[in-house]
Amino acid sequence: MFEQNDKIMKIAKKMGFGDVAILSRESERTQVRFANGDISISKKWLSKSTEIFVEKDKRIAGTELSVYDEATITRILESLNKVIKGMSPKEDYYGLAEPDSQYPDIPETYDPKILNADPAELAKAGIDATGLERVAGVLYTDHNKIYLSTSNGAEAMDQGTGIEISIRAFKDPLSSGHATSSARVLSKFNPEKAGEKAGEIAKAVSDPVLGEPGKYEVIFDPLAIGNLLSMMGRFTSAMAVEAGFSFLMGKIGQKVATENFTFRDIGNLPNGYGTRKFDAEGVATRNTAIIENGVLKTYLLNHSYAKKYNMENTANAGIVSPGPWNLYVEPGDYKKDEIFDVSRAIYITNIWYTRFQNYVAGDFSTIPRDGIFLIENGEIKGALKNIRISDNVQRMLENISAIGNAPEQIHWWECEIPVFTPYIRISDVGITRATQ
Amino acid sequence: MEELIELVMDKALEAGAEHCEARYQKTTGTGIPFKNGMTEGVQIANDEGMGIRVLVDGAMGFASTNTLTKESITNALTEALKLAKMSAKVRKNKIRFSEERFQRARYEVIMKKSFLDMSIEEKTEYLKLIEDRVKDTGINVPMRYLIYNELLEHRIFANTEGAWIDSTIPRVVIMYNLVVLEDGKTAQAPFVESAFTGGLEYIEADEPWARAEADVRILQKMLREGKPSPEGKLDIVIAPEVSGIAVHESVGHPYESDRIFGREAAQAGESFVTPDMLGERIGSDVVNVVEDPTIPGSYGFYLYDDEGVKARPRYLIKDGIINEFLTNREYAYILGTHSNAAARAFNYDREPIVRMANTYLAPGEHSFEELIEDVKRGVFIKSFNEWNIDDRRYQQRYVGREAYLIENGEIKHPVVKPIIEITTRALWSSVDAVSREVEFYPGTCGKGEPMQGVPVWMGGAYARLRDITLRR
Repeated sequence: MFEQNDKIMKIAKKMGFGDVAILSRESERTQVRFANGDISISKKWLSKSTEIFVEKDKRIAGTELSVYDEATITRILESLNKVIKGMSPKEDYYGLAEPDSQYPDIPETYDPKILNADPAELAKAGIDATGLERVAGVLYTDHNKIYLSTSNGAEAMDQGTGIEISIRAFKDPLSSGHATSSARVLSKFNPEKAGEKAGEIAKAVSDPVLGEPGKYEVIFDPLAIGNLLSMMGRFTSAMAVEAGFSFLMGKIGQKVATENFTFRDIGNLPNGYGTRKFDAEGVATRNTAIIENGVLKTYLLNHSYAKKYNMENTANAGIVSPGPWNLYVEPGDYKKDEIFDVSRAIYITNIWYTRFQNYVAGDFSTIPRDGIFLIENGEIKGALKNIRISDNVQRMLENISAIGNAPEQIHWWECEIPVFTPYIRISDVGITRATQ
Repeated sequence: MEELIELVMDKALEAGAEHCEARYQKTTGTGIPFKNGMTEGVQIANDEGMGIRVLVDGAMGFASTNTLTKESITNALTEALKLAKMSAKVRKNKIRFSEERFQRARYEVIMKKSFLDMSIEEKTEYLKLIEDRVKDTGINVPMRYLIYNELLEHRIFANTEGAWIDSTIPRVVIMYNLVVLEDGKTAQAPFVESAFTGGLEYIEADEPWARAEADVRILQKMLREGKPSPEGKLDIVIAPEVSGIAVHESVGHPYESDRIFGREAAQAGESFVTPDMLGERIGSDVVNVVEDPTIPGSYGFYLYDDEGVKARPRYLIKDGIINEFLTNREYAYILGTHSNAAARAFNYDREPIVRMANTYLAPGEHSFEELIEDVKRGVFIKSFNEWNIDDRRYQQRYVGREAYLIENGEIKHPVVKPIIEITTRALWSSVDAVSREVEFYPGTCGKGEPMQGVPVWMGGAYARLRDITLRR
């Protein structure tokens, strides 16, 4: 779609805009949704669209279009021009980044075999692997091409594929398990493994009893901690920090987690569902340590925020708001059975509905769902139900007691930003439940 | 556009579809984020496309495109048919739709003060008003994130059963997040919204700038004067913001028929409610919960749903008894009834699914003062920040932002972070009195995969809950 980009760029420059960035996208996405072991609906999205960013005298505006005749482009850009004239300048806008001259290929991001895969068959493989009748979930295949042109000279293209399944199996209404598999290449996609794990968890839930409130050692399955870390990833954006949606405000250089916790954003991670070669300003994506050995090193930045904070650009543009690509917990030394080798703990396999009382203070609660197990001396001693985690994000990060050695990619409906995380054990986690 | 839609209907029937519907939607509008006194940039919405849903041999296929040419639309239809046929081969139970009476209708919500006639400066002025009012308090509010948003949605829905609904709906939103800092401690009013279907006359009457000023004063008061909340068994009076979120989460959601039948099991979850619970008591006899998309000006307003069915109020709980579920055509058929028009899609590229619109606790016979007067020891919870509920909609938690102690029928000092953590049945069974006064609060309700955030109102009356175990 460089032809469309060029057309838009020419008209924009003719109108006197300063910085211009144009990101066009062609995408084809297929979904198979299933519930009660049956396909509920199958979907296909065919879309071609272009995001346009323009600037004039530090006044910035953006829009999106999907019609590319000259009259439409001119009309849309004229509307931006009119809008910009009525705005006040954004004083902390420092222009677009100088683009990189090359964008290295990233392994395991494109596989044409995915385009010919049979989504219904693959979904069935996952469903069958649960060994249970009542199974719900979704399978996606993705094929995307993006084309970036900026007035600073970026001209970059990336193409990617993806395939993923999210699967929840039920033994009965109160006994369920959930697992996922996400991959950019077919050889790394494993619907059977996801199905098996969902089924195993559901089958292990037997006569769950009400959990007791208190402070517990908690073992988080990658699916469970992934959800929380995905949300935490949003808080690492400089935009979120300034807007009052982050507990990390003013903490660069400070200890915010246990010293063996290192948390990264890796935009060029092989097989990462969020991986792409360049950000919205044409800077090559990279590996950024956000928290290193427990110390907050940086927020996620674009060119303007990097200038503002006098820090190195982390290549996470969004021109208005930087954001993470793939979050990554540096693996620890613990094997899975060592994580579980404690005298007493609660094993939480999934969570949802995380909400904050105060984003800046980090106080929140979230609800475990699917299998919840009481662990004693490394063994499952019984299943629990109806508990809630009520704690503080930073306190939990500081109380991490063990990090597993095998990160898994988590990306599903409740975990929008892909997270690579192993099993993690945390001490003194606050657990509550309904009082009546 | 009419020609393209008719082409889809004709071709779908020719190809042997049992049912086909096409939904065209064009969304235009302006978004202005404003952070700590500075415009972040303006976003102009300009999205247009068509979604096509078909039933073939009892299986459902859906495809959408944002290229509105004959070729692209025909291609999307072919894909939808192909996907439905693929599913039909493996689907065990056939999907059927309830019989409905369809109409040709056109409606438009008229803006008294149209955002189409206003400059960007005038729109930004609303945010500056909030900024100024907050600054004038002299309170330290270091983080201020404000958003102005307007959207104009034009939809044309048609199906092979003769429905043709053409609607034009404008929506306006002002949202703010304010963080007060006092002696190293923070208090926050996040995602506070003023939102309506209609023009800016609603925003001007609602005066979110006045509420923002009040909010920062209250946050400071909570930080300065707030005492620990009492714990243990006492009475609680909840204001409409809290009763609204409670009816949305623990009445509206579990009464969605697609959840009840397990279709959302892997996403937003299922429901503690089963089909045979219609007619069962779930609350005290003063509890009435209504779901009504037809309230003029409401954020969740519509007159026809996205399956072309005419909207009407739904009475979810009557006198404490489960009375009605929210349905679309698929689940109305299973329940042996007609759809009550709860099918909504947030854009052309999403399937219509069962959703709420405006859910509220219906008014009772008491004044707010009477609710308070009869409390010996309790807490009045006026607003909340943190909340959540399990995915069967039975175990919920609401944490107060603004709350006060009640002693011998009088409202006393502010109390910090009172926590209600309670089951749905216990919550609604504990209500002994409901106020005459009602208020509504907007929100964006998330459900479906991919996610569909639809505009809703939540609210209703003040309610008094007896003998609740409060925690802090």
